[in-house]
Amino acid sequence: MALLREQYQALEDIVGPDYISDDPALLDSYSYPMVATSNHLGPFYGVYTPQGAAVVLPGSTEEVQAIVKICNKYRIKYKACASFWSGMGFPSFDNVLQLDMRRMDRILEIDEKNMFAIIEPRVIAATLQAEAMKVGLNTHIAGSGTSCSILASATGYAGFGPSGLFMGSHGDNMLGLEWVMPNGDLMRTGTLGSGIGWFYGEGPGPSVRALARGGMGTMGTMGVSTKCAVKLYPWPGPTHIPVEGTIPAYQAMLPDNFRVYTLAFSTWQGWADAAYRIWDTGIGYAAHRQFNMFGRDLKFGMIKVLTDPTKTLGDIDEILEDPEAQKITKEMQRDFQFVLVGMTPRDIEWQDKALDKILADTGGWKVEVMKDDPVLRNWSLLYFLKMGHKNLNMVYTGSYDGCFGGFGGPPDRGIKCVEEAAKFKKDWEDTYDTIVAAGGDCMMGSIGGSGGGGGVTWECFTCWDPYDKKSSEGAFEFHEATYKYAAEHNMGSGMERRFAHARGSDGYALPREQIRKLFSASPMSSIYRYQQKIKEVFNPNDLGDAYYSTLDEPKK
Amino acid sequence: MTGKKEELAGIVGETNVLDEPETLEAYSQDQSFSLPIKPRFVVKPKNAEEVQGVVKWANETSTPLVPVSSGPPHFNGDTVPSVPEAVIVDLSGMKRIIGIDRRNRSAQIEPGVTYPQLQQELAKEGLMIPTPLLPRANKSVVASLLERQPTLIPKYLWTTLEPLRGVQVTWGNGDTLPPGGGQVDFNRIVAAAQGSMGIAIMGMVRCQILPKIHKLFFVPSSRLDNLIDFLYGVLRFRFGDQLLILNSWSLASILGSGADQIEALMEKLPPWVVLVGIGGRDTLPEESVDFQEKDISDIAQKFGLSLVPAIPGARKGQMQEAILNPSKEPYWKLGHKGGCQDIFFITTLDKTPEFVKVMYSLAEQYKYPISDIGVYIQPVHQGASCHCEFSLPYDPNNSAEVVKMKELFTKASEELLRQGAFYSRPYGIWANMAYNRDAQATIVLKKIKEIFDPNYVMNPGKLCF
Amino acid sequence: MPLVDYQTEMERCSQCTYCEWIPFDQMKSWRFAKGCPSISYNRFLSYSARGRLGVALSLLKGRSTYTDKVLDIVYKCQTCGSCDVSCKVCRYNLEPLETILQLRATLVEDGQVLPQHTEVINSLSKEHNTMLKPKAERGKWAEGLDVKRLTTDKAEVVFHAGCHYSYDEELQKVARTAVTLLKNAGVDIGIMGEEEGCCGGRVFQMGYREEFTRSAESNIEAWTKAGVKKVVTSCSDCYYAFKRLYPNRVGSNFEVLHTVEYIDQLIKEGKLKLTKTIPMTITYHDPCHLGRQGEPYLPWDGKEKKIRNQIVVYEPRKPRYNGAWGIYDPPRDVLKSIPGIELVEMERIREYAWCCGAGGGVREAYPEFSNWTATERIEEAKTTGAEAIVSACPWCERNFIDAINTMGDGMKVFDVVELVQQAI
Repeated sequence: MALLREQYQALEDIVGPDYISDDPALLDSYSYPMVATSNHLGPFYGVYTPQGAAVVLPGSTEEVQAIVKICNKYRIKYKACASFWSGMGFPSFDNVLQLDMRRMDRILEIDEKNMFAIIEPRVIAATLQAEAMKVGLNTHIAGSGTSCSILASATGYAGFGPSGLFMGSHGDNMLGLEWVMPNGDLMRTGTLGSGIGWFYGEGPGPSVRALARGGMGTMGTMGVSTKCAVKLYPWPGPTHIPVEGTIPAYQAMLPDNFRVYTLAFSTWQGWADAAYRIWDTGIGYAAHRQFNMFGRDLKFGMIKVLTDPTKTLGDIDEILEDPEAQKITKEMQRDFQFVLVGMTPRDIEWQDKALDKILADTGGWKVEVMKDDPVLRNWSLLYFLKMGHKNLNMVYTGSYDGCFGGFGGPPDRGIKCVEEAAKFKKDWEDTYDTIVAAGGDCMMGSIGGSGGGGGVTWECFTCWDPYDKKSSEGAFEFHEATYKYAAEHNMGSGMERRFAHARGSDGYALPREQIRKLFSASPMSSIYRYQQKIKEVFNPNDLGDAYYSTLDEPKK
Repeated sequence: MTGKKEELAGIVGETNVLDEPETLEAYSQDQSFSLPIKPRFVVKPKNAEEVQGVVKWANETSTPLVPVSSGPPHFNGDTVPSVPEAVIVDLSGMKRIIGIDRRNRSAQIEPGVTYPQLQQELAKEGLMIPTPLLPRANKSVVASLLERQPTLIPKYLWTTLEPLRGVQVTWGNGDTLPPGGGQVDFNRIVAAAQGSMGIAIMGMVRCQILPKIHKLFFVPSSRLDNLIDFLYGVLRFRFGDQLLILNSWSLASILGSGADQIEALMEKLPPWVVLVGIGGRDTLPEESVDFQEKDISDIAQKFGLSLVPAIPGARKGQMQEAILNPSKEPYWKLGHKGGCQDIFFITTLDKTPEFVKVMYSLAEQYKYPISDIGVYIQPVHQGASCHCEFSLPYDPNNSAEVVKMKELFTKASEELLRQGAFYSRPYGIWANMAYNRDAQATIVLKKIKEIFDPNYVMNPGKLCF
Repeated sequence: MPLVDYQTEMERCSQCTYCEWIPFDQMKSWRFAKGCPSISYNRFLSYSARGRLGVALSLLKGRSTYTDKVLDIVYKCQTCGSCDVSCKVCRYNLEPLETILQLRATLVEDGQVLPQHTEVINSLSKEHNTMLKPKAERGKWAEGLDVKRLTTDKAEVVFHAGCHYSYDEELQKVARTAVTLLKNAGVDIGIMGEEEGCCGGRVFQMGYREEFTRSAESNIEAWTKAGVKKVVTSCSDCYYAFKRLYPNRVGSNFEVLHTVEYIDQLIKEGKLKLTKTIPMTITYHDPCHLGRQGEPYLPWDGKEKKIRNQIVVYEPRKPRYNGAWGIYDPPRDVLKSIPGIELVEMERIREYAWCCGAGGGVREAYPEFSNWTATERIEEAKTTGAEAIVSACPWCERNFIDAINTMGDGMKVFDVVELVQQAI
């Protein structure tokens, strides 16, 4: 269904003819395959998100405001997105206007002294990091990696990542916010609203930004955020990371105050104890169980492939035939990667010594080959500091999603579930050939959560071939099974169905009645009712979609 | 008993409904210049259910409620009624520490739990929470943090509410939502709301490890602007625990008592000092303190300053003991002249010397002795912003001083606002100033208020309500 | 292979849009972070490799049809391969560039062509060049040059000038210099002169496979007749065509070198000595088809298979072509061996160099976009403080000269061989 001519013209009058289109093929390239990645529902083979009514590229806050007001006038739903890398950024209904925020990609200012940056929606972590490093600063990078919008991470979604234990999460890092509210009014929070600057996002009194995001962001359903300030963090390194090596085996050549380790433990208890001790001690710049996403059985093989420009995926099995590789694979069973960055030589020495003490106390050790082989070490360091390889989530097949994950939070909880979840997946991998057989435990996750640490995430990677119907449908069945298993075994609500309330198997929003039923039974039902009230007041024309969770009463 | 009293007694128990004149008098005013308005009753609920009951009752009877969790003296006007016939909801009796989880470093507490009470229990588990600057011994932890009162250790301030990580609220409409949130940050709706959105019935705080070793150092200077870049340097590296700047009045008021002693100390103390606390915790504590001391000293030297273990005027360990504990009685700010008005706001650290100049210039205009002005500069949010506080002591029993103080307070507040001060906690006269500057925030907050307190029972007359 | 054979690529695309950027590991600034000129200029997501794969799938599944917008999306792309490099930092089983090229070929097969490209094809057909110039003038660049003409003579090495050097009067000197240099260094070298035919590389990029094949077969026949064993060229587009396309598409056994490779060899063997000082700060631009697309051709005839249930691999192992083994160091080594030259690098170099803007039929059909792309590169060159930008391809050099003229800037443009000649 298309926009009426008058509606299209009104939008074209705002952005100009070069920045709006309703060409069908163009619109189709803006449809997201529901068989792809990290949708946390499905996967649904052969299904795409509904085609938008048009795509519009605003170039300024004023244009965004004008667009939102037009949408209110004509009751056109709209969805703004910056990075376009997950189904939540795409329409859920027909006739939705897709806002592509890529023209608003400027870093407006970096305040070096007070350590924050002011950015537009399409500033990705990579470019902010590059500019911040020039002045001795760095940015937190969310788990989705450096290609993603920081503002979207701050307002739209989770915002957690490997550097979280040192740099917090993007939601917490957000200072002043400029936000086109769902009705088109412009809200500037905190000091920004008073015309003083961007440095403080709260008040006066209660924080209006409470509506712009909670523990989770609003996923483009409540207006459009157009600028924000985010905190930056110290970077005691060169103005850019010197990189050597042949693609893809790039390596960071950094001074000795930058260190990366793969820590391994003989027991899960030791693993958890070490996480707690690390947080208690206050060391670390980034911490993540990253490489395990390739699977317990395959991770070291993959590391060898990725660090050797002559190798391909087909070499994994041969690499793993080597007894030494098998030994290291076994050694790294219960591992996580850990980056230390010292602000001064004394600092790095103390941090490393403290780490050694923690490892001695918890039965852990630094995996030798990962620290002594300069290629593996420098590649790992670059990986974590840049987070520029998150596409590796999809390396096997082009697709992945996370399952289980409901036992995230305090490590003590997760370690009780990890082997059981891993076995469930391994049994499935061995029984069915529809998902990649990676060794069951494919759990990746941050060792930290938010600033100062405190939680770990356990996202168990499932990879299937999105081109292969059988594989994709097999992955769907697997996720149905894992979700059910987790619920039955007190493992919490899995991430594989996190957004199942927002979109159905046809790629469209679920019928309202179905959502009501789901949410009425949820322990969060009262919160959803309040979100409904907030939506009624601030988004009265209901121009968002079900990614904003609300529980309403059926109309009589 | 009157009808209302009986109804309230039915909720909180007869002994917890107070209406004696002296009691009502005590709750009608505080140290601010708010006009005293007597409440109708004071109720003291003992638990969350009673709080919910009172709020529901207030909605049914259209009775204004004024929540208060800390003990007196109060200073900001937010815990006294702005309208007649209000009921004070005094939560100071809800003093349960519901649980302490050493492993996950969290504590769940009721609103009446005070800093010394909590610190004592946390210490048994090897934990602590950062505190504000010498809080009153009867200061509620939840209230203090919810009002965004700054704490002394910037590196732990991941958010503006730290160490408060969660709060459960009975909202103005009587609903209580489960803890945790969804896509709305309910914590931030009730934060700095001066009790005008709801009543916090439980708070969850994130604790830190209690240092095994703690040392306090000083970086003195005759000029404030000499200290700014040094402080930025330490903040950037995230070294040290406590980091704050005090001037000689603030130092003297903390260290001494009584006008004579305080004034004598002011002669000895350096005009400006950065206090640098360094803590060594469970893992290699001595080495941790040692390297930080050396590195911070190097930073100081870079700016022509020195990190020293003592300052003239303070006995060994005296300052450290002071800042690691609540205020002695009388509250430290009242020690000089018996009364004190504070003006505080948010800015950035680099702007604080200018604000000090503005304040001094106004003081001169109003013939208020500059030497009597207390200054407290506290980096917050890991250095992204800064709490700047001026303390103006005066004799509350001297009517001429009171008149002058009212004038100075008002004019200074206005001028500081004009120069870029941000009253993020808009008490009293700051509310109009702040909201007049931000019309959109006013509109949105009113809409939020309509959702959470549709009958306007929660502390009417505060903020923009 | 028909477009449907690339459905695997379309459906296995990660949707990550890494194809828009240079490899993140190499980013040094916000200003020079982009890798794909097309999406940088045209903005809509559809103009990235990911977007084009989405458009291709849409067409394939009959969800949309050819429109002006579709043609715009498909043809406003220099086929520079930056997307391919960035994608393959993480992906081992995806071929974005190949898919984009096949999409082009499909449009051409279906008659969805641009009039500007049709002009080029007509010129190729009638006059054997893509420059819309008469065939009879092709050999003029070599007038007076004392070098074998391989229409009548034989030589081991043929110097292929290429359409651009043949007809661009301002740049002809580069071809003359190159062939003279090599001859004077003792290489048994000749040229085809007027009978030289277009390499077909550009029209291949435009999607004209049949026309490419005709050009290729004609050249191979001519060289074979002339006893040629080695083909040398100073044009990177030709280089790529000879080195990668000919063996893959029509079969060919000639050794292929770019002039800079040959000169590098000669310098290292001591057969060419550079002794004159050229005091100049320069920066080097990696041509796409010498750099990331200049990797050796490795024959492969295999198929996809799956291991570990679903991991997509190939049997036998498929060459990666991710830019790792392009020709980056020989031109740099040559420049560094010139006394007085100071080489300063731009931010985007080697496999992640920004395109000059000329390729893929863009210069012919979208001169404004082509010029913008070149202007971006000159802006980047200026940040190095270099006085001159040096390259190894006439298309790059012409596009830079035109951009500099548009900008009114004073930066100089050289080919590597020009500086070598000055240093002898």
